[in-house]
Amino acid sequence: MTLRPFLRPVLLTVAATAVVFTATELLPGDAGDLRRAGRASEQDIADERDRLGLDRPAAVRYIDWLYGAVRGDLGRSLVSGRTVTGLFAERLPATAALVVFALAVTVLLTAAALTVAFLRGGHGGALATGLAAVPQSVYAAVLGTVFAGILGWLPAVSLLPPGGSPFDAPQALVLPGVTLALPSAAYATALLRGTLVDTLRRPHVSDARTRGVPPALVLARHVLAFLLIPALRVTALVAGGLMAGTALVETMFGYPGTGSLLVSAVAVRDVPVVQAAALPPVVVLLLCMLVADRLAVLHSGRSGSTDHGSGPAVAAAVGGRA
Amino acid sequence: MRLNAPSRAHQSIPATRRALLTVAGALLLTGCSSSDSPGDAAAPTGKPVDGGTLRYAVTGSPATASNDPHGGLGNESDLLRFALAYDVLTVPGKDGEPKPRLAVSWKPNKAMNRWTFTLRDDAQFTDGRPVRAADVLYSLRRIADKSAENYGRLADFDMKASSADGDHTVVLATRAPMAQAAKALESVSFIVPEGTKDFSKTVPGSGPFKVRTSGAQTAVLVRNDRWWGSRPHLDRIEIQAIADPQARANAVTSGQADVAGSVSPAAVKSAGNSGGLQVVRRKGVTEYPFIMRMDTKPFDDPRVREAFRLATDRKALVDTVFLGYGQIANDLPTPYDPSYPGDLPQRVRDVAKAKELLQQAGHADGLTITLHTTTAYPGMDTAATLYARQLSEIGVKANVKVEPADTYWTAVYAKKTFYTGYYGGISFPDLARVGLLSTSPTNETAWKNKKFDTGFTRAMGTLDADRRNTLLADIQRDLWKDGGYVVWGTGDGLDLAARGVTGLPDGPGFQRMFIDQVWMAK
Repeated sequence: MTLRPFLRPVLLTVAATAVVFTATELLPGDAGDLRRAGRASEQDIADERDRLGLDRPAAVRYIDWLYGAVRGDLGRSLVSGRTVTGLFAERLPATAALVVFALAVTVLLTAAALTVAFLRGGHGGALATGLAAVPQSVYAAVLGTVFAGILGWLPAVSLLPPGGSPFDAPQALVLPGVTLALPSAAYATALLRGTLVDTLRRPHVSDARTRGVPPALVLARHVLAFLLIPALRVTALVAGGLMAGTALVETMFGYPGTGSLLVSAVAVRDVPVVQAAALPPVVVLLLCMLVADRLAVLHSGRSGSTDHGSGPAVAAAVGGRA
Repeated sequence: MRLNAPSRAHQSIPATRRALLTVAGALLLTGCSSSDSPGDAAAPTGKPVDGGTLRYAVTGSPATASNDPHGGLGNESDLLRFALAYDVLTVPGKDGEPKPRLAVSWKPNKAMNRWTFTLRDDAQFTDGRPVRAADVLYSLRRIADKSAENYGRLADFDMKASSADGDHTVVLATRAPMAQAAKALESVSFIVPEGTKDFSKTVPGSGPFKVRTSGAQTAVLVRNDRWWGSRPHLDRIEIQAIADPQARANAVTSGQADVAGSVSPAAVKSAGNSGGLQVVRRKGVTEYPFIMRMDTKPFDDPRVREAFRLATDRKALVDTVFLGYGQIANDLPTPYDPSYPGDLPQRVRDVAKAKELLQQAGHADGLTITLHTTTAYPGMDTAATLYARQLSEIGVKANVKVEPADTYWTAVYAKKTFYTGYYGGISFPDLARVGLLSTSPTNETAWKNKKFDTGFTRAMGTLDADRRNTLLADIQRDLWKDGGYVVWGTGDGLDLAARGVTGLPDGPGFQRMFIDQVWMAK
């Protein structure tokens, strides 16, 4: 096994952090003058900027950050002075629990939707596309209204008990998790349905169907093998997307994860925190892609075919909306 | 006001999302079918009940959470924790004048540039050490040293020239004669043990509660039985920092918290259907004045300024922007200040007179102008839109320009000719210092007036509070007549609380953070 497959994710991670850093640089205002709220003298702001090290060139600050990150030091928050790793250590478990839960729901929903699509011979794709296009905030509003407001089954905000973990309050995961999962599942379904339709058109599948083989058997024996690799790739993509999607749902439901940390850090231009917060989605996406690619290679090696799993859907997925 | 700024960041949620949240909240609450409307907070009645845990959902942002009470006070959740865990020298009273806390009394020298503060002798830190003058001096010096972080919270004091006189007396030097030294120390003078350097974790305090755990999202405090003051009734206070105002309100309406600090009028209105809740109204907390730069056309003409004030339908603005949770104002920015000249006539809408004034000023054919605003605080953009409509009735075409919330205070504020301002309960002397003196760093209306400057200096050198307030009232009369403000109303600060929570502060400014005497009916 060579190192080459790992080189690409590392380079992509560096590229992604560079993009994030540039984006935060391009935002108007920095941590120094955003905190003044129009009331401090120019001298105060200059002192503050000096204290925060914001007077150094952007490239120097980026390289500094990168050098620190390699050694496991993500720096200190410009605003609170706390270590970024400490801030994340406090919040990452909550977000991890949320993402794992949302991913499980996504997989279940996608599987269910694809089964329905399969039974209907591949029709009804517009619904999935439509549902995928609805913004997350709409899901949050509707789900919150129904399940917290009208039915009263679930908490309206996802507070965790002081010092507690998501496992002390699993019901807090449901609304934000499902809010994340619904559009992701619709999106995954829309992507995989294409592969499903292609598979259903293959001669051996239509042949089996005309011969009257029970649908469950057709699915298990002839269809699933073709769906496996695209499904892995889409899962990888969705995992990264879910991670990125936590920013919105965590803020809306008051859930104490890294997503809401990112939102508040952007608002105050706390660049070290924003930089670090951008890492988990990128790393999760790239790691999952790496795993999916490795599995695809293993799979194709075993079955001796080369065209498995590189359906048009996945090509679309890479340029997709995650 | 600058200490109120942080909530701006949390509220800079895109308008569409806010609308959705509000709709969700409204729908959410109509689901609970109780006709009971929320009453205004009852004055503490009945015999206080001891014990219990109060869960307080407060504005907070994980990115700015801090353990250092001397740096930038970025977060209300931090401020609430500090106010419970540390003693301060003085606190704001209901009348706006400072009241004793750790300092029992204070008096100046003749020149009024040396103030002798006498401290209580029975205060001690949670580790058992007594609180001494040396601790007070150390803490105040540390605040002054961190001026770049906290924008000169103690800039008026000369901490090098200040000294301790025995264990329970500090002599504080001010840079200029200063009648209101005790007010300047109000609420933010958190006292820690001398020599404390590591603030990465909680340090001992001498306040009514002690911190048991503290993180970026939650803090748990328990009663400090060594505290010198009236024994708090509550056993425990849990602080939950929640950035989103609608999420805070939801936490209380769904029973996950007992108090939600700083919620929107819309959240209170929708809570009207859920029953079992009370609303704490803190008067004069939010204000979105329209600001006219007097050094720029067309506002360099006093007739134009007067016309713009006369065009204002104040009641319509208060009803629309604050949904009625507010009072109309009279073009002076701090109507809640003890120095407010209450005998001024209320300016009322007079479209005919306004048109006439514009005509005299040479704008008979109308006037086109840009009114800048933003979405930093809920309703700021609504206020500008409605005012633009009111202005159209006197022949002024005001184009409303909604600017990005996070750069509004650096790119627009005190720079454009005509824009929407914000005040969060600043006192008149503070406002004058930062925005109305010829030498003020951000003179937002370009108000430069010799008589005002000298009148202010004279008032600040006057020890007697009544006399000082009279002098300050006098300089406000000129501002009312001729200044660059259109102040149409003040909105209430709104907190939602579960029924049974009693004694929540409803006074001005930081008073709301001092919740140590709150109790909960069983």
